[in-house]
Amino acid sequence: MQDQDTKSLWGDAFSRLVRDRWALISLIIVLAYSLIALLASFGVGVPDWKTSMGAEYLPPGGSLWLGTDLFGRDVFAKVIHGTKIAMSVGLVTSLIAIPIGVVIGALAGYFGGWIDDIISWFITTFSSIPNIMLLISITLILGKGLTSVYLALGMTGWVGLARLIRGEVMKHKEREYVQAAGAIGGGHLRKLFIHILPNVTHLVIINTSLQFQTAIKSEVILSYLGLGVQGEPSWGTMIDDARMELARGVWWQLAGATVAMFIVVLAFNILGDALRDALDPKLKGK
Amino acid sequence: MSKRILVSILSLTLFALSCSREQNFDEKVLNLISSQKIKGFDPIYAADLYSANEVGKVYETLLEFHYLKRPYELTPNLAESMPEVSKDGLTYTFKIKKGVKFHDSKAFADGKGRELKADDFVYSFKRLGDPKLQSTGWWVWDGKIAGLNEWREKNSTAEKVNYAEEISGLKKIDDYTLQVKLNKPFPQFLYSLAMPFTSVVAHEAVEKFGQEFQNYPVGTGPFVLDYFDNSNRIVYKRNPTFRDKFYPSEGEASDESQGLLSDAGKKLPLVEKIIVNIVIEAQPQWLNFQKGSADLLGVPKDNFDQAIVGGKEIAPEMAKKGIRLSMVPSLDVTYIAFNHNDPLFTSNLKLRQALSLAYDRVESNKLFFNNTAQIAQSIIPPGIAGHKKEYKNAFVDRDLERAKKLLKEAGYPEGKGLPELTYETVGSTVSRQQGEFFAKCMSDIGVKVKISTNTWPELVKKTNTKTAQMFGMAWGADYPDAENFLSLMYGPNESPGSNSSNYKNAAFDKIFAQAAIMQDSPERTALYEKLYEMVGDDVPWIYGVHRTTVSLNHGWLKNYKYIEFNHTQSQYLNVDLETKKELLKKF
Repeated sequence: MQDQDTKSLWGDAFSRLVRDRWALISLIIVLAYSLIALLASFGVGVPDWKTSMGAEYLPPGGSLWLGTDLFGRDVFAKVIHGTKIAMSVGLVTSLIAIPIGVVIGALAGYFGGWIDDIISWFITTFSSIPNIMLLISITLILGKGLTSVYLALGMTGWVGLARLIRGEVMKHKEREYVQAAGAIGGGHLRKLFIHILPNVTHLVIINTSLQFQTAIKSEVILSYLGLGVQGEPSWGTMIDDARMELARGVWWQLAGATVAMFIVVLAFNILGDALRDALDPKLKGK
Repeated sequence: MSKRILVSILSLTLFALSCSREQNFDEKVLNLISSQKIKGFDPIYAADLYSANEVGKVYETLLEFHYLKRPYELTPNLAESMPEVSKDGLTYTFKIKKGVKFHDSKAFADGKGRELKADDFVYSFKRLGDPKLQSTGWWVWDGKIAGLNEWREKNSTAEKVNYAEEISGLKKIDDYTLQVKLNKPFPQFLYSLAMPFTSVVAHEAVEKFGQEFQNYPVGTGPFVLDYFDNSNRIVYKRNPTFRDKFYPSEGEASDESQGLLSDAGKKLPLVEKIIVNIVIEAQPQWLNFQKGSADLLGVPKDNFDQAIVGGKEIAPEMAKKGIRLSMVPSLDVTYIAFNHNDPLFTSNLKLRQALSLAYDRVESNKLFFNNTAQIAQSIIPPGIAGHKKEYKNAFVDRDLERAKKLLKEAGYPEGKGLPELTYETVGSTVSRQQGEFFAKCMSDIGVKVKISTNTWPELVKKTNTKTAQMFGMAWGADYPDAENFLSLMYGPNESPGSNSSNYKNAAFDKIFAQAAIMQDSPERTALYEKLYEMVGDDVPWIYGVHRTTVSLNHGWLKNYKYIEFNHTQSQYLNVDLETKKELLKKF
């Protein structure tokens, strides 16, 4: 059937995205997590994780959906608080990593020559350092805590995106529309930022959704190792607690944290895939 | 995708294989676990339990505590016999054992360890007072050995510390006779000669290895260091040139029936090799013990119910595997220290009292010690003269109303105006939980606490440099005398001495100085009790508990007996390989 409407690129992509049932569910899950995180940041409508709700290690039941931890705190409330931490880490690190990745990648791709040489060398060197080692050393230097996690993940997360953008910009800078922009007197910066970048934005969006879930996983790992969030619950510290509690038969803390993490990471992955399908012009009409 | 899974499964299997090292039944190997990293083996820095335990395997002291006899009793170790003491009680003359050799080392010209002489003690004791080295054990002898303080003072500005200069208090009479003169009576002097700080080192090794000396210990002890990786493993081998030292043939009445005398008269050490695995986390410690790759383990809090039934009996399934339980009250005290260098705490007694009142010891005993500990009223544990049973600290039982009131009087109503406090601890799960528990208790009165985690050496460094604001620690007795605990509150012992909270109280210091030179007597005990109450009421720390050591050991481990001063214990332990073979079949 011939499509008679004229749709914008984004409108088209969105309609293709929501047609995919799993993508839609994932999108809803991600939005739900974001909402929970937002509410938790303002302390609205979420249970309090700090107060003891009963004895220690109460199994799930009644109003305590996920039981209590060793201090009698509500595990469900801790999962919610962990959601806030995880989502904030995802958001803040994306906000740090994406501008760095886009600017560096675009400069390298557009200008080429020695600028590209230097930046490529930097990217290669950076990506050859084992990621977790780099994260650990950065948190050790900056001191432990949430801010360090933001910075550490933000400062390591830009490499993949920079490489992608570099390649894409290289491709675009020879295209006719860019040459046309040049012909009517557009300077480098204008060509790069007004003309080329909007055409590679879809990469940024796809990458953000993947970056988001990598950041969440890394935060959990760092907190599990005791290098992440200090003094408040995070999924990582909950799993760390649970490691020993399992000997007592206390499984709810582990279950709560891992299921919460599993769902959001899976949702981001599916969403990332779907976004790529929806935004990639080559896959149009499939 | 499926390929990637396969690879990861394969690598997991390889990992698992490399982990389960084959048990070797050809030689006797003692497998131990240390729950913290150590910095090195220099005895003059062996201020903490973990370092002391390792130092005690390679280095030796003049005296030691008898392994079996209780109450604790000193016996000669490198000394030939107990010293002769002059009439005024100030001059001690030691005969030193002949034929004791240092470990073979490249520090010696021919690579062979030379004989131990009285000079080595003079040298090692001076090292403890060396102003450039800043030993963490100097507080033990500060102001007590004739001429040593003067020598320390004189050399503190000198370019090079002059070891050649003679000191009136440390004298070699001949190669096998050492004389020590005290400035003033020091009743704990002999005890101090059983502490790792006073171990004898070879000056050749100190000179040869310099900064690296802490990694290349050259002592006279029963074991030689074979391999040292400070974050993983320490391996020792039996010292082939170890002198004739024998397992004791007498002990307590019950030792015979418990098989603790079956090795009586045998030459020490009884095992060929010791492997100390550094395992910081409780869960892998437990798993290591469960599969038989650790011979001895303190029971982690979360495994308590698995190991012990009814609070005192070993669980049947453990007993079936030949595992044995030992529960002995320790001579120790746990605490959360205020750094009194911080004006926030020094001048504000009410703040300290408020925080102490807000801390829930009953719950902490339940959560972290499975109710086996006893709540501390002040600094001296029961079992040591000076612990006053009737004394009840008014700021120990949790009372939030009073705490809030005191906090208000302290100038911080509901915690307002009080900066966030920093609680320093080590980075294991249990320590983090203890920190969180403390923070939680404090939040109940509106006080905010930030938890900062460190490695053990980092934490020790922070306390030594007075930069830790609050920190959770424990003090275990070095010798059975209250002076050892009270010295933690003595002003002149401030960091890097044992008074790591830098508490200063002139009235306390005065009485302490008076009691410190008294021999054991009812008068001294009365003074100790007075001091005990003083530092109870003044809340220089948030007192925690006196713990009970709950440990398990495998059926093949012989001669295990709880000893509070356990840094020399490993030489007495034995492994029965036949029993081990049999028992391991049940695992």
